[in-house]
Amino acid sequence: MATNPMHQFQVHRVGPEIKFGGIDLSFTNASLFMFISAVIICLFLFLGTKERKIIPNKMQLISELLYNFIAKMISDTAGVKAKPYFSFIFSLFVFVLICNMVGMLPYSFTVTSHIIVTLIMALFIFVAVTIIGFIKHGFKYLSIFVPSGVPALLLPLITVIEIISYLSRPVSLSVRLFANMMAGHTMLKVFGGFVVSLGILGGWLPLSFSVALTGLEILVAFLQAYVFAILTCIYLNDALNLHH
Amino acid sequence: MMKDNDDFKTRLKIAKDKFNKDFVAESNKRGSFVGSAFRLGTELVAAVAVGTIIGFILDSWFDTKPWLILIFFFLGSAAGMINIIRTAKRMQEED
Repeated sequence: MATNPMHQFQVHRVGPEIKFGGIDLSFTNASLFMFISAVIICLFLFLGTKERKIIPNKMQLISELLYNFIAKMISDTAGVKAKPYFSFIFSLFVFVLICNMVGMLPYSFTVTSHIIVTLIMALFIFVAVTIIGFIKHGFKYLSIFVPSGVPALLLPLITVIEIISYLSRPVSLSVRLFANMMAGHTMLKVFGGFVVSLGILGGWLPLSFSVALTGLEILVAFLQAYVFAILTCIYLNDALNLHH
Repeated sequence: MMKDNDDFKTRLKIAKDKFNKDFVAESNKRGSFVGSAFRLGTELVAAVAVGTIIGFILDSWFDTKPWLILIFFFLGSAAGMINIIRTAKRMQEED
């Protein structure tokens, strides 16, 4: 039995090795759990929207709730102009949420606890938002680096600081999700290890901690997906409505 | 039939209001407490890290070893402070 708390984050190959031009493209457990999450989402939304009754059944109700939740979040934070990006933010939120939740199942693998996964998502958002900003406003988009009402003497300094602040967005976005998921899962495993090593006499205290932490982790899983999506909306808002 | 429809609409409206009041308010409140501290922390650390990395890269380009990394470390810290102030403002607006 593996008692190393970091063992759960190991990526290993599932099935045959696939090499393509010197790049390892093998199917790993990370790819497997991403695939499982995607299948769960598709299946759930397909079943939820199949019948489309006026008085919905439970699955349709949850799907509609999810739709309303994201639609409200987008209109609250980014306004009506962000409507065309609904499908992207919806997919993003649901994918992160389901990946986090699938990771809560015993013996599963948490895809979002790897910085490469979250960083790629964050970088994609960052590049996309920057491109959208330039398409909508042209070179006027660069004015987000120059805040209004700053004395001319300080302007070069403030501009550099603003650029660093802008570049730190994908880092903070990805690190937050990754660190939360990894810390939580490591902690769960550590307390699980205590239960085993203290045995039937002393193991009850860490067991109760473990139960409480599981609840907390489910809350964190939801919350981090929410924060990831809402920050995407906020960045999108900056790109769509300059100086808002 | 018409009466049934009206009845359903009023019931739906009452249920919706109740849902918005209870669920949304509750989840927002809880969410901001648990996540906000960590959110502020990463904002600061990310900006400092990005600033330092930019300084490091520029240093190796211009061959000015410790100077640009020092300057950009402090610029990064300033950017982190700006990030924190903005995030905190946004959090207050949400409440």
